[in-house]
Parts: sequence; C-alpha cells; structure tokens
Amino acid sequence: MTGSAPAPVPVMLRTRKLVKEYRADGLCVEALRGVDIELAFGEFVAVMGPSGSGKSTLLHVIGGLAAATSGEVWLRGQRVDALSKRDWAIQRRRHIGYVFQTANLLSTMTVADNVELPAILSGVSARQARQRREELLDDLGLTDKARVAPSRLSGGEQQRVALARALAHHPSLLLADEPTGNLDSGNTRDVLRLLRRTHAEGQAILLVTHDARVASNADRVINLYDGMVADDWSFG
Amino acid sequence: MPTRSWANAPHATLRWVRADLLARRVQAILTVAVVAGVVAALLLAAMLLEGTTNPWQGLFARTHGADVMLRFGYGTDLAKLDALPGVTKVGTPSTIASATLEQGATESPVELRAMRPTEPAMSAPLVTAGRWLRAGDSPADASGAVLEASFAAAEHVGVGMRVKVVGVDGNTATITVVGLAYTSDQDFYPQATPGLIWVLPATLQQVEKIPSETEEVVGLRVADPSANAIGQVVQEVYNAYHTTTEASPVEQVATSQQVDASMASNDRLLGLLLGLFGIIALIAALYAIANVTASRVLVQRRDIAMLGALGFTPGQVVWALLVEQTALGVAASALGLAVAWTAIRTPAFIGPPDGVPVALAPLPAPWMALAAAVTVATVAVATVVPAWRAGRVSPVAAVAFTPPRGRLSRLARIGLLVRLPVPLVLGARDAFTRRLPAALTIVGVAIPMAMITIAMTCWTTLDGFTSDPGRIDLAAALTVYPGSESIHAEQAQLARDPQIAADYPGAEFDTLLPGATATFTARAMGTSTSPYPFDVAQGAMFDSYNEAVAGQGLLDLLHYHVGDWVEVTVDGVPMIFDIVGRTLDPANNGDVLDFGLDALAFNGAADQPQFYSLVLKPGIDPSAARQQLLRMSGDRLQVQQAANPADGLGVLKVVIIIAIAALAIIGLANLLTATAVGIGDHLHEAGVLAAIGLTPRQVTATLVVNTTILTAFGAAVGTAAGLAVAPLLVNAQGQASGLGWGIAMMPSVGTIAAMLAITLTVATAAALLLARRSARAPEPLAPPRRPLATPRSSA
Repeated sequence: MTGSAPAPVPVMLRTRKLVKEYRADGLCVEALRGVDIELAFGEFVAVMGPSGSGKSTLLHVIGGLAAATSGEVWLRGQRVDALSKRDWAIQRRRHIGYVFQTANLLSTMTVADNVELPAILSGVSARQARQRREELLDDLGLTDKARVAPSRLSGGEQQRVALARALAHHPSLLLADEPTGNLDSGNTRDVLRLLRRTHAEGQAILLVTHDARVASNADRVINLYDGMVADDWSFG
Repeated sequence: MPTRSWANAPHATLRWVRADLLARRVQAILTVAVVAGVVAALLLAAMLLEGTTNPWQGLFARTHGADVMLRFGYGTDLAKLDALPGVTKVGTPSTIASATLEQGATESPVELRAMRPTEPAMSAPLVTAGRWLRAGDSPADASGAVLEASFAAAEHVGVGMRVKVVGVDGNTATITVVGLAYTSDQDFYPQATPGLIWVLPATLQQVEKIPSETEEVVGLRVADPSANAIGQVVQEVYNAYHTTTEASPVEQVATSQQVDASMASNDRLLGLLLGLFGIIALIAALYAIANVTASRVLVQRRDIAMLGALGFTPGQVVWALLVEQTALGVAASALGLAVAWTAIRTPAFIGPPDGVPVALAPLPAPWMALAAAVTVATVAVATVVPAWRAGRVSPVAAVAFTPPRGRLSRLARIGLLVRLPVPLVLGARDAFTRRLPAALTIVGVAIPMAMITIAMTCWTTLDGFTSDPGRIDLAAALTVYPGSESIHAEQAQLARDPQIAADYPGAEFDTLLPGATATFTARAMGTSTSPYPFDVAQGAMFDSYNEAVAGQGLLDLLHYHVGDWVEVTVDGVPMIFDIVGRTLDPANNGDVLDFGLDALAFNGAADQPQFYSLVLKPGIDPSAARQQLLRMSGDRLQVQQAANPADGLGVLKVVIIIAIAALAIIGLANLLTATAVGIGDHLHEAGVLAAIGLTPRQVTATLVVNTTILTAFGAAVGTAAGLAVAPLLVNAQGQASGLGWGIAMMPSVGTIAAMLAITLTVATAAALLLARRSARAPEPLAPPRRPLATPRSSA
C-alpha cells in the first residue's frame, strides 16, 4: 500500500503508523509507537491493555484532542490527522461522541443542558434535542436528575450523564474511555444495555476498558501493550 | 442528520451563556457592581474636576442664570427687550445703586441691588448660609440684606453681623446680614468688583434717595446659547436702543460666556493636581475592569476547554465569552451612568463653606457615551485574550503545570532543610511554577497600592501646607495695613503685643517683566539683615541689598535660574538683583521676586513700608489674634489673614478620599478574584496533601500562604514604586504650577506601615475565608481506578 492513498475498502476509522510522543522538559514519553487499527461502519471494538499502554492516548488522538506526532488518521474516508483545531471541532460536532475517563461535565449547566448541548450544536431543533435527552436519561435511569447540577451527582451518575451527552447528537463514532470505570454492577448493566442497543442501531463504538465483561459485548478486541498493538482478535 | 449546524452554533452559544450567567449569578452581579462602581467613580471624578475648575456651569443651572446681563440708565423703556429676536425670556429688572461698606477702618465699594422677597424666575441667587430676604427686612425693621458669599468671605462678614452702608451722598444705613448667596451673573469677588449686596427696595431708597442716580439691571435668556447667537442678540440690543440724539441708555453688557471664562479657576496647581488624579483614576479603572473580566474567564478554564472538546470551534468559544462579558459590560456601564446621572441631580455642594462652591458639573452627553463605549471596549479586549488562549487548550492536556526542572527546586529543598514550615514552602511554589498568574496577582495588588501611595503623598503635602505654612512662605499668618495714623506708631504697638513673635515691614509692587509681556509681584519683605523667614528650597537667602530670591513661576517666565542677574524697574526705579535663591511661593502662581526693604532705599526708591507681616507665636490661632488686634487698636488697623492655598485645595482632599476608597475597592476586587482562581486551581491537591500527612490546618495554611505571599510581594513592590514615583509626580505638578519643585512631603513611616499591615490582613482574611469555604464543598476528585477485575488474557 502506498503512503497517503485512501483505503480501498470504506471504513469508519483507520489509523496508519500512528505515533504520539509527549515531551516535557527534556523528558520524552512515547505513548503510541506506530498503531495501525481499523474500524468498520457500525463495528463495536474494545481496546484493552495494562496501564500506560496508550489506550487513552489512542482515543485522544483519534478524537482530535491531541495532535499525532506522525502517522495518519482517516475518518469516514477523509484524512483528519492534520486538521486545524477549528475543523476538528466541526468534526467532533457532527461525527464524534466522546466519553472521557473523568466525566468532564460543564459545571455551570444542569444535567439536561449538558446532554442537550451537543445535539443543539450539531443542528437539531431544541425540541428534538429535548426528546433525545429524555430518551437517553430514561435509558440510563437518570430522569429525576435532569435539573440537577453536575457537582451534586456521584461519580457514577456523572459518568452516565457523560455517556448520554456523547450519544445525544447521533455521532457516527462513539469514543468511550472506561465508561463503566466506577459504576456498580446494576449501572454497568444499564450502560451495557444502552451500548448494545445503539450498536444494534448501527453505532460504531471504540471503547477502552479494563473489564472483560464489557469487552465481551464488542465485535472485536484490540490489545495494546507499550504503545503498540499486541493483539487484534474478534469474537466468533 | 439535520445539517443546520451553522445556524445553530449561536443557539448553542446562547444556551451556554445563559446557563453560565445563571449558575454564577452572584459573581456576575459582583462583576457588574465593581465595573459600574469604577465607571461611576470615573464620571463623578470628571464631573467634580469640571465643577471645581469651572464652577460657573453648576451655578448657572441652579440659579436659572441669565445668558446676557444688561445694565441700563434710570428710566429706560425695557419693553423693547421682549420683542428682540432670539430672546426667549426677559427677567425682572432690579434697581442698583453704588455705595460703600464700612467696617471699622476698612471701606469697600459695594453695589446694592433691590430684589423682592419672592424668588425671581431668572438669576435667583443661591443661598448657602442663612436665608433669603423676607418682607420684614425693611429699614423699619433691622434692614435685612443678603451678601454675595465670596465678597462676604473676603470681608470676614458673617450671617447675623451688622454693617454700615454709606451712599454716594452720605446717606447711611445699618444693615443686618441675614444670608449669604452666590450668583452666576458675575465672577467671584475680588475678580469682579464691587461687592454685591441684595436688599429690599425700601433699604436701597434709604441709601440712594435720588432715583436718577440709580441704574436698572435686567437679564435675558436666549434661544441659542452659542457664542455667535449671543453676539447677535447683544447687537440687537444695541440697535434697539440706538439713538442719534443722545448717549445710548445701554450702560453695560455682560454675557454668560464672559462670566464662565472669568470664573474658570486661575489656580493652576489645583487644576494640575486634579488632572493628575484624573489620569491615575483612568489607568486604575481600566486596569481594574480588565482584571475583573480576565479573572472571570480564567476561573472557568476547564469548562472552556470542554466546550472545544464538544465541538465549539476556538472562534465560537471566544464569541461565547465575548457575548457573555459584553452583556455584563453593557449592564455595568448603564448602571454606572445611572449612578452618575442621579448624582448630578442632588443639590449638594461640596467644599469649604467660605470657599468657592463646588458642584458636580454635568458632562456633555457625548462624553458619557464615550465613557460607556470605552468601558465596554475594555471588557471586550480583556475577554478576548484569555478566551482565545483557553479555547486552544485541550481538556486532556498532558501536563497541567510543570515545575521548572521537574524535581524539587533548590530553594524548596533548602527551605525544608532549615525546617521552614511546610505550608510556607508549598505555598510559595506558585510564585515559581505558575509564573503568569502569579505575576498578574502581584501586578493586580501593586498598581492600586502604588496609586494609593501617590494619593497619600498628595494628602501629606496638602497637610504640610496647613501645618507648616513656613515651607510655602506663609510663616506670617497676619498682615497689618496702616490705618489713619502714621505707620511708626503702629509698629511700636505691634512690638509690644504678646501674641506676636516678630514683625517684618514690607512693600509690594506690580512690576512689568523686562520685555513688558506680563507682570509679576516685586516684594520688599523685611530687610537684608532681618529678612522675612522665607523657606529657601534651592540656593540661599538674600543678605545684601542687591540680592533677591524668586519664585519658580518668575524663573519660568524669565527663563532664568538661581545665580542669574535680573534687571527690573520697581516703582519707576531701575534695580539690579542677583537671584541667590528659589522659594516655594503660591502668591501670584509663583511670579514673585523678594528682596529687602533697604534695597529700595539703596536704589533711590521710596522705602516706606506699606504693611507689616506678623509671625505669631506658636499655638496662637490666627483669627483669634486678628480679633484681638482689631479690638486693641480700636478698629484703626486693617488686619488680614494670609490665604493658604490649601484652603482652596480643600476639595482636593475630598477627591483624595474618594480616590483612595475606589483604589482600595479595586485592589480588593483584584485580590479576591486572584485568590479564587488560585484556590480553585489548587483544590484538587487538597486531598493529596492530606493523604501525605498534612493536617487540615496545614492544608488550609498552604492555600492561604499561596495568596498571601503574592499579595505581600505585590503590596511591597507597589508601595515602593509609589514612594519612588510620588515625589516626582507631586513636585512636577508643583513646578508646572509655578509653586516650585520641592513641595512634596512624603507620608510618615507609620502611615505606610499601617497601609501595608491593613492590606496584608485583608488579603489573609479573604484567603482564609475562601479557603475554608472551598474546603467544605464536596471535592470533585477523579474516580478512583479499580484494580483489574480479570487478568489480561494474552495471545
């Protein structure tokens, strides 16, 4: 395959020789050392690996929150690794839903506003955004928290709201970093049920997890070790 | 997927702005209040400056003044005035007569003006003491009269006193002063002479029995108060009364513009000092607004970064913040303008009761609009920079704050080694690691402190004028002018008076400058062997008949320096003097040349003393001494009290108090926002610090020390800068006004120590309060990492 030629098969996401180095005062940390992965449309892929293997960094770079040091990232057949901050913002608005490891909800907006904001930003009407928000909060058992400020929620509740926010605008690709990280088993079940449902509706999901039960819901599992892909295998 | 995203970006922006304003409404209200306060203070200061240096505007508005004041001979037909084009209103005519006011040995020419007890619609005098005329103030009943206030102050006449008025033909009337009032129809006494007294018509007739010796004065209001239009109206008046057969009955015409120009303050020092404060206030105000705005943005850095992650472009993030802050800025401007507008409507005058009345002069609408626009612009600019930077930061920044070398710095290690308290060492690190926020905090405290120091220096200097008048050549509190007896008899009497420490004979001459471009005052004060106790700021005192000292103003006029020789013609006699010294003299704006009385004799001029300057013994009150002298001499002496420029500058003390209060509020606001930002940024460490073994007290102490160290440094730097700059600024003002370089007096060490102590206490208290409150709120700690539930299965 030649360097920058588009992939022959249409895929949701494709990375080639992705490298990410962090530099701080003479220290150089290679978080990703040449990662090649692919995600088909509507595919659910789990990324596993020990701490420090570069899982979160991979999501950051794919989501445009960190710039790759070298390598290529292709989203929906379009090369995105060299986009400006502005164009990345528009990409995220339309095509990417992101769930952070720490929920990162907007502190001055209620839960409802937090969930609706990405939808409004992507172009739906306020009424549609509200309907979508009610639907998602209901699925996650958070309807009674709609008017509450994020600072009053528990870590698990914040995480679920973050997931709802990430799905509110029907993104092409959901990037989720440990979405069940601090949930109890009951809430984990609810989250998995929602993920399975959206996956069934055609949502492409790239999810980082430690939990094998969560990974077992995926179509494929990629193992990262020391910034490189160690394993890439699918379930049945 | 609907693709109206471009149209919906503003929708999302507004959503966020609205939510943010509501969520932080207390801070928003505080921000608006601070900015509004700054705007209002600036506008009030400008209005005060305008009203002080030009009191005419305020007086004109309050007295419903006349645009044109006409004086006609007795019996003129005034009906013609109604028909003149451009005239909207004709006032009630008043009869006037000339007379003389007698007070002991003093005689002053006055003008009696007959007015009715009812307040006239135009040119209604503004009563500032006592009351206006009443029907009962007729000659049969004590002959009440109202004196023009500046005249009364100059003549030391107060409400309740009885004075004698003598007409041109010798008819006398004893009048009782029932009130003092100001008018906008003429300049203050003694710029405008003669002094003005308002009486009932009956009283005037008692003094001036011949009607044809009286005149009529009447005021006009015009439709267009511009200079051209008024000029045309004046021309119309002349035309209407023009006759070819006899002299025009129009005796005199005065316009409001002439009075305005005349009333404008001649006191250059006051104008300059107020101007200095204006600039200081402007800088401090703009800085405060910028700081409050920028801090508001900095506090929500994390949320701003998240907006980017959600899909707001950096440009949209800046837009969102601009919209939010500009809304606050507009609200604040409106509020500030409203406060200033209300203040104009209050009738209060500020300033010493004897001095020139100071009112807040309204600023023209374009200036108010400019103030509002500048405020909003400052808010916008102060928003854009931090917003742009915050918008470009990713919410997953790899490293938040990097210590300079990645390990415990040398200083910190030494600090811990010598067992400095741990909170102290930890708290101090911000100054090294977060350099930009630390620098901003320091500057935010330093600038107000520097300006407060400058303000305190001005205050101390003014106090110095009053407490040590010798510094500005006012060692002699009283001046005695000879009465009817020969001057030698007076001197013998004065030498015996126990209140008097020394007396110096003197004479004063208005002299033309060489080149005849202006005049200055040449004064013989004391003799060469026993000169008047001038305080020489530069050079030496004169001790020979051809030496003299000069004021800064004169040196500037002549472009001379100490050591130059000057040739002047004093009282018709040419004289040459060696300028051996420079004094700080407020008289005549520093345009003075002082030498010994014997110099006059040496040069062949008359050397009779015109007056004696009396230096009182310490502790003796000048006005009491004056009364005593008058009594003892049987009212044969004229005794005047020396006018201290500090009296006229009394309004400046009011301005200084306002300025210090405003600067203190600004400094406090800067402090609070900087503290909030600092504490917010460090809150996540509180848990970590507790975990490594710091007690809750020590954790709070770390947060507090953080701010207090920066504040202390900022206060010290600001005060030092202020102390360095203040004498230069104040002396420069003094030099420019003609008073001279060297007037500045620094605040005492105690005052400065108190200032610093107060600042530090307030800063620590504020930090303590905020730290306690933040520590109590639930901490949004990161969710703890679960250990691996199942081991990783590897291929």
